Amino acid sequence: MASMASTASTQTNVWAIEPGEIRKPGIIHVVILALFTGIGIVVGTFGSLAVPIGFVSAFWPGQAVQSIGSIWFGGWGAIASFLFPLISNSLSGSAPLPVSIAYIPGNLAQGIIAAIAFRIFKSDPSLRTSKDWIVWILLGAILPNAIGAIWGTGVLLAFGLVTSAAALTTVLGWFIGNSIPSIILGSIILKFVSPLVLRSKAFCKGWWA
Amino acid sequence: MATSAEAPGGVRAAKLRKTLLGYVPIESPFYRYHPVTRLIMFVFFGVVPIFIDMPEINFALVVCTILLLVWGQADLKRLRIYMPMIVTIAIFMFLVVILAPGNDPTFTPIHIGPLTIYYQPVYFTFASYWRLMAMLFGTILYFSTNRERDMLVALRSLKLPFLASYVVGFSIRAAGMFMEDFNTIREAEQARGLDKSALKLGDQVKLYVMYLVPLFSIALRRADEISHALFARGYNFTGRVGHGNKRSDYILTQYTMTGMDWLVIAVLMTLFVGAAVAEYGFGAFRLPHSPINILLHHLLGLGWPS
Repeated sequence: MASMASTASTQTNVWAIEPGEIRKPGIIHVVILALFTGIGIVVGTFGSLAVPIGFVSAFWPGQAVQSIGSIWFGGWGAIASFLFPLISNSLSGSAPLPVSIAYIPGNLAQGIIAAIAFRIFKSDPSLRTSKDWIVWILLGAILPNAIGAIWGTGVLLAFGLVTSAAALTTVLGWFIGNSIPSIILGSIILKFVSPLVLRSKAFCKGWWA
Repeated sequence: MATSAEAPGGVRAAKLRKTLLGYVPIESPFYRYHPVTRLIMFVFFGVVPIFIDMPEINFALVVCTILLLVWGQADLKRLRIYMPMIVTIAIFMFLVVILAPGNDPTFTPIHIGPLTIYYQPVYFTFASYWRLMAMLFGTILYFSTNRERDMLVALRSLKLPFLASYVVGFSIRAAGMFMEDFNTIREAEQARGLDKSALKLGDQVKLYVMYLVPLFSIALRRADEISHALFARGYNFTGRVGHGNKRSDYILTQYTMTGMDWLVIAVLMTLFVGAAVAEYGFGAFRLPHSPINILLHHLLGLGWPS
């Protein structure tokens, strides 16, 4: 813990704007939005088809893409987080378009909460300290998935696709099916890919640049 | 994007179009219609089941979409990938309603051996399942018969802002690129002698997880390259060229709306609005009007459904 604390004390704040640094949204952000949406479509579609349990998947790594996309690319990642499920749900057949549209607030929450938390707590996306890990697991995976599961089940109830008696089962299935792959995949991607992303022009210290 | 075969003159003529979910012959009747017409057809089949509770009509919509797939010469074998989803959704819905039917005293119990089920929630679930299937098949119909280009043309024809249509079109293309990169990495590993069949399940999972690192790295590099290419071609957020005029859109000039397109759109929109008015104004498609529901009520001696 002592070495961890010293690492934390020497840690640079990756979100701080350097003197003279000008950050503006550019074409690269639009491209990264589209690319990340494409990645999400593939990951989300395979996740939905892999282990389906009714309307939810027992293994949906798409939430990892939602969270890490929003952490790295701010608002662009947040847009991708609700855009790609519209297509991946349609391709996998796990939800028709009207239901996917109603999922949008839940999907947005599944992405944007991690982005807000990392920016507020100045956590490093490369997960260098225990604080970064706590923020990632609690606010990047568990909380967003809890909110997403409750919202998603509410949508299924509103569409008459599950009965109120089935709501708790659906919430739990959704939460567990999203959280476990998010923690595993998300941690690996953040740990190993974040150093590359932080050096790229696409990385957003603010919300749009 | 189209597969080709040897034509008599030695020219390779395209025979099939790669859609988002498979291949469809170029001469498919769907391609006689403008992409906007096909998009409106998608909205119709994907959304209209929301207005309909009666399982008979939703089942008819499923049959209708399957007939359209056959008419459009889509490969129905591709639908097999949806079988696990279709079956597990049914199992999930019925299992839950049988195990946890709720405790409304007005429900009618039906005893099947040691099992007691309740008619009303089971029939409601049956109707919900067919509504869901109708919406899903509407979506499958669109993605089985349309390409990313068709979606792009439809969105641009409907005057969606350049940026939004670009993102939607490029996202779908990016999904394909991501899959190609995935295959490249996998084949490179096989070329180096990796025998996946010799790996334990846990190691295979680890392997798949580790694919993500190079895949994300490639995506980042590609984002840089594409943004430079777009910048070099003068693209910006607005979709306008340097002197402020609208950028000419070549792709839209390749498609024209015909009288048949307008007719199909008019029919679909009339049916859509009609269904909404009939349901929300008069409750025409509610469960008490379902012939199967009426028949079962009489068979079970429950009188007229309410």
